[in-house]
Amino acid sequence: MQVLRLILSPLAALVIGILFLGLSRKFMARIQWRYGPPLYQPLIDILRLFTQRSVSHGVVFDLGIILTLAASFVIVLFLPFGGLCPMSGSGGLLVVLYMMLLAPLGMALTAGESANPNSSIGISRWFILALGYEVPLLLVLLAVMTRYDTISLVEIVAAQRSHTSSIATFPLVLSGVAYLLIMPAVMGLRPFEVVQAPQEISSGPMAELGGRYLAMATVQHALSMFIGISLFVNLLWGGASNPLVFLLKMLVMFALVLWVNAAFPRLRIDQAIRFLWRWPTFVAFVGLLLVVVIGD
Amino acid sequence: MNLNILLMIAVGGSVVTYLLSSISERIRDAFAILVTLAVAVAVAMLYGRTSEVTLWAGFLGNPLLLRIGPISWLFAMTVSAIGCLSVVFSLKYMRGRERNGFYYAMLLLVQAAMLGVTLSGDLLSLFIFWEIMSWSTFLLISFNGGTALAAGMKYFVMSITGSLAMLVGVVFVLVSFNTLEISTVAFALSSAPPGYLWAVFLLFGLAFAVKSAIWPFHPWLPPAHSEAPSPFSAVLSGVLIKMGFFGLLVLMYVLIGRNDFLSLGWEVLPLHTILGVIGAVTILLPTFIALLQTDAKRLLAWSTVAQAGYIILGISFGTALGLAGGMLHFLSHATFKALLFMVAGAVEYRTGGIRDLNSLGGLIKRMPVTFAAALVGACGLIGVPLTNGFVSKWLIYKTLILEGSPFLAFVALIGTWGTILYSYKFLHNIFLGQLPQNLTSVEPAPFSMRVPMVVLMAVVVLFGVLPGIPLTVIDEIGVTLGFSALDVAPWGIVSESGVVNMLNISTAVVVSVLVAWLIFWAGKSGERVDQADSYAAGAAVPEGRYQYSMHFCDPLRRMVTPWLTDRVDAFYMGLTVWFTDVSDGLRRFYTGYVGHYVMYVVLFLSALIFVELLWSPW
Repeated sequence: MQVLRLILSPLAALVIGILFLGLSRKFMARIQWRYGPPLYQPLIDILRLFTQRSVSHGVVFDLGIILTLAASFVIVLFLPFGGLCPMSGSGGLLVVLYMMLLAPLGMALTAGESANPNSSIGISRWFILALGYEVPLLLVLLAVMTRYDTISLVEIVAAQRSHTSSIATFPLVLSGVAYLLIMPAVMGLRPFEVVQAPQEISSGPMAELGGRYLAMATVQHALSMFIGISLFVNLLWGGASNPLVFLLKMLVMFALVLWVNAAFPRLRIDQAIRFLWRWPTFVAFVGLLLVVVIGD
Repeated sequence: MNLNILLMIAVGGSVVTYLLSSISERIRDAFAILVTLAVAVAVAMLYGRTSEVTLWAGFLGNPLLLRIGPISWLFAMTVSAIGCLSVVFSLKYMRGRERNGFYYAMLLLVQAAMLGVTLSGDLLSLFIFWEIMSWSTFLLISFNGGTALAAGMKYFVMSITGSLAMLVGVVFVLVSFNTLEISTVAFALSSAPPGYLWAVFLLFGLAFAVKSAIWPFHPWLPPAHSEAPSPFSAVLSGVLIKMGFFGLLVLMYVLIGRNDFLSLGWEVLPLHTILGVIGAVTILLPTFIALLQTDAKRLLAWSTVAQAGYIILGISFGTALGLAGGMLHFLSHATFKALLFMVAGAVEYRTGGIRDLNSLGGLIKRMPVTFAAALVGACGLIGVPLTNGFVSKWLIYKTLILEGSPFLAFVALIGTWGTILYSYKFLHNIFLGQLPQNLTSVEPAPFSMRVPMVVLMAVVVLFGVLPGIPLTVIDEIGVTLGFSALDVAPWGIVSESGVVNMLNISTAVVVSVLVAWLIFWAGKSGERVDQADSYAAGAAVPEGRYQYSMHFCDPLRRMVTPWLTDRVDAFYMGLTVWFTDVSDGLRRFYTGYVGHYVMYVVLFLSALIFVELLWSPW
């Protein structure tokens, strides 16, 4: 049973992540009055990419991309997915937090091995952007952990369910707002699409990737979308007792993020940092203060 | 083995090494390795034993005692192990340099003195070994001369200030209790009033805080670490500053005692909270200052200051889990920071002394083992799972969150993100990116440098996967210091306050990597092309003209620089200038001309007579 869960959980994340990719293209197309590609188009793209030619710049180039994807798989194993959490008792939210650092690091190793200026710029932006959203994100996560006095994700979900209301309970409202503000940055969407910025630095860290490398980077991107939304649903929206409700909640959030993505142009990296360190941080800080002051 | 003999071997080894260097360099090298190895093995064999011997029966009326217990053993073991590796690393690094006999003798003397500090059973021998350690460290820091002399001087002045405070503390204790034996003093202090405890804490704490370089006593560390010979930088950062933490531990939990320590301070602001805030500041500022450095060793040095903040956060919290986290982080830091300094040293050695991060790059193809060492060391520093840094930081975060200090936890976690940025800068600017034209013929690190690096790499990973090994020892220490026992298993900690199961985490990581690799392997394999053969969106970049790692993360640098002036250093430098001026003013009176001195005497006497005539007070 446990083994089945271990396999099922990343697989579900993979399917949903890729579904999200297709959905986002369809959604954006409809907003722009186009018909858009079929929902399964990203899957075809990924499979096709695996059979196509590519270049490699060395061992670390290969290693980095493997590390990036592996880190995302590990995070998925630690995230509860509607009552499904194969690695619930092994370190909790802190492990997830740490693993979230590894994906950019792996990509950075890949980009570093190639001497591509666009990749270098993209990676440096990724690190800066991550530092930018990590400040409010940590405040939000600490508010949640302090509120429920645990670092276990499963216990956080359970605690929210016992508080009857499934939407973030009173002292955590501000933390929820802060997370919503930074969600596009966590997922790398507009207005925080500074890392890839296709029109400006030709997809940044992805510039040098082709074939299986690009396929793996796409899969990782799909997983990171899953992780970004799943974290919100688990921590601030009560999780779910079965995967179907969980998926529904995720879809609602995803639609919200896509609207923002469609409506806003891209910020410059320094503007992005200024925004992230100003409003979301302020709201998250007050949120944490509220949790500490109210206590129990 | 008798502790006396152990210490004799360590000190005697230093002297003999110096004498041997006039006979043959090779014999000297072999002897130095042999001595440090023998000391390390001897200390390892002392595990689990508690014994006490008298080193000198009546030194100024106080016997000098040596004593070993769990806490002494852990520190002594780390000192001797890192010391031995550092000597091995020095072999090639120092070969052919002038005065290297002196270097080895001092390196061994520092180790002997550190061993003495950890083993001392009374405050007087602690002070004596502390002084030997400080002096020999000064000689090693300024070994290279030039700017190293200034760095050494800075260290020396700050260190002396701390030592003087400690001397006053020793006299203070001696006058009050008429004994210096640590356990007797601890017993006497348990009934002392809080004001007295404060005095003891401040006097001894100053000495230990300067040595462990916690904010605001850090300014000596960055120049000292970067100017010292690299193998000694590894010792400095790995174990020497840890002597400060050893002292703090003894001060807080042995001399003052856990309960008294936790009740020191005011209701709203207890002393241990103040220490926690100091720890947080020590993490935050140096992390971002490290980000701005362009000198490889200076970057690592600032990072050492920041990591010291984690240790102080852990040990000052006063819970069993926090102490375990702090102690484990001391051990983790000793291994991965020594490893990183060795990496910097190996690169420096092979490239002819280049430490500037902007002029290195692409060395992965030339020095693969060194790159692996740098990667493992950087992962440990960041705290990536499967390395020992992860476990220790996890324990510290967990303590902070569960004990209701989310703001301290926040600073600690943000520090980790900063760590990623500068660790990647270190990795990228030395090993990744483009290989400059003048470095195309660099050779791999020599064998004698690779051995200590590989050993340290193995330790970093081993303690990361099976943290139970060091945690068992640390748990014993906790129990001796009066903390509750932790439920330690080989793969982590099982306790009611939470579980860290490294076995599960490691398996998850390994399997995920395997799966990712399988996916990678299943795809059509790529064509291996040259590094410069890259896609630049139609705008081909001239080869060998640009260095992309230059000004890495520049937007961030521009944003944070205004906030990051080291005002503490400026304050100390201002103080130095002020002292120089005052002394200079005083010097004007001492002209060296006898007539002037006669005039002072006459003036003074006439003033006395004047006072007597007018008010007749005598």
